[in-house]
Amino acid sequence: MIKLRLTSDVLKLDLQSVEARTRSFIRDYVQKVGAKGVVLGASGGVDSSTTAALASLALGGHAVLGIALPEEETHSVTDAKHAKLVATKFGFKLETVDISSILRSYFHSLPVYDADDKLSKGNLKARTRMVCLYYYANRLNKLVCGSSDKSETMVGYFTKWGDAAADLSPLMDLYKTQVRQLALHIGVPKEIVGKPSTPALWPNQLAEEELGIKYETLDLILFGLEHFMTTKDIAHQLSLPERLVDGVKKRWLANEHKRRPPLTAKLGYRTVGSDFRLPCMPR
Amino acid sequence: MLKEINVALAQIDCRVGDKEHNLRVMERHIRQAKQKDTNLVVFPELALTGYMCRDLVYELAEPIPQGESIRRLEELTKKEHMYAVFGMLERSEKARATLYNTAVLLGPRGFIGKYRKTHLPTHSAFEEKRYFRLGYQAPVFETDIGRLGLIVCYDVFFPEITRLLRLKGSQLIVCISASPAVRREFFETLTVARAIENTAYLVYVNLVGVEDGLQFWGGSRIVAPNGKIISQAKYDEEDLVIGRIDYADLERTETFVPVLRDLRPEFFDFLKEQVENL
Repeated sequence: MIKLRLTSDVLKLDLQSVEARTRSFIRDYVQKVGAKGVVLGASGGVDSSTTAALASLALGGHAVLGIALPEEETHSVTDAKHAKLVATKFGFKLETVDISSILRSYFHSLPVYDADDKLSKGNLKARTRMVCLYYYANRLNKLVCGSSDKSETMVGYFTKWGDAAADLSPLMDLYKTQVRQLALHIGVPKEIVGKPSTPALWPNQLAEEELGIKYETLDLILFGLEHFMTTKDIAHQLSLPERLVDGVKKRWLANEHKRRPPLTAKLGYRTVGSDFRLPCMPR
Repeated sequence: MLKEINVALAQIDCRVGDKEHNLRVMERHIRQAKQKDTNLVVFPELALTGYMCRDLVYELAEPIPQGESIRRLEELTKKEHMYAVFGMLERSEKARATLYNTAVLLGPRGFIGKYRKTHLPTHSAFEEKRYFRLGYQAPVFETDIGRLGLIVCYDVFFPEITRLLRLKGSQLIVCISASPAVRREFFETLTVARAIENTAYLVYVNLVGVEDGLQFWGGSRIVAPNGKIISQAKYDEEDLVIGRIDYADLERTETFVPVLRDLRPEFFDFLKEQVENL
């Protein structure tokens, strides 16, 4: 049996081919749906910048609308500047919708609101961003294009029905470090690719700090799990404590509920989300 | 060979992917059954791992009989001088990603034999052909507690396999199952039919609990050769029910309705022809 060696080589992409396939995927789906393009959240981070750039390359910048959705607690001048930089470079329109007042309305309206509950508050921000994106998509007959990557999707590092909610997610099968490769390949500015990722749910939130692991390592662990390697073998190859790898695996399995339609009780002949196996035919 | 035996229907709720937990539950049931003077304890299909393991099957499967879990249960059946049937994921010794949905028979001297499910449901919520290779054999096990034939769940929809086991001499068909509630009526009918049409005892043991939205209905039972339900476990709840099997009933029933005597071999040839041209 050929032994799988977990080195950064396994995450290397045939970048030309991946770019071409991702572009045709976006173009094909938007055309089949009959939409006038896509809207996407433009945070100025590497995932959303790469998604916006690919969408513009696929559809033309005129069909892409980037929406920056800052709010007062996490607003970053640098991120705003980066979003503008990508919009200018790839020729798509960028609008800014400050969601601070919407959030304040929620805070005032929800009887159980607790400012100290960082996570619930942060998720509310991600879901509010999703609501705004879908409003724009409906008004403009566009689709919401998500920018989730495979690393955060596998470990459940996203808000359920928030940032991962979209009509299509072109990067969801690429690990974070692969998104970075693709970003550089298609010309996303280096300062965006090189900066630390943040979901911007609360001030100074950094993904790698919160996950407790560098993406370079996380992606190799996830790659090993994807390929049915044991946690023991992964830990051994990467010289990591087995409990760290076990922790990633547990996180991956425990978050399956976030990646699926809601679980339902099977009561009928064919069941939504389980054994209705229909093709995606949007028109 | 014993003329009468006591059979325990161990209708358990398994924890998906947690072999250690399920093993402990099975061990407890074997001990409890022993205290109630039982000869054979039967667990559901894939009792060792739970049914809806999906992609986790590859890491949970074990070779049979070399796997650790079998070794552990074997120790107990030896110690308690018991027979046990249970379902588990089997990994081929020759090809590690080749798996089977297997029923295992253990006895007072350890591992006796296994049966690999021959009909794999791949429709509705079931995706067994995605993971498992079909079994090709239907062994009958000659033991102190009778001549046993094993089948697994969906096999009960196919009269041929039970017929084959019966014609090979099996008097007691053990069907282990993971049947969801939407199919209860089918199983309640078919378990009775398989017993009557073969003049055989049929022991059916089903899972309970909810796995990935599938709700297993329990309702484990012992069906006598005349179709009478002689023991029945609860619906939708864990249960341990013991029933008595008297092999003398086989002859009495066979005299009353001699289905085996009246079998027509030429129909098997016709069937084969027709199936090949379905």
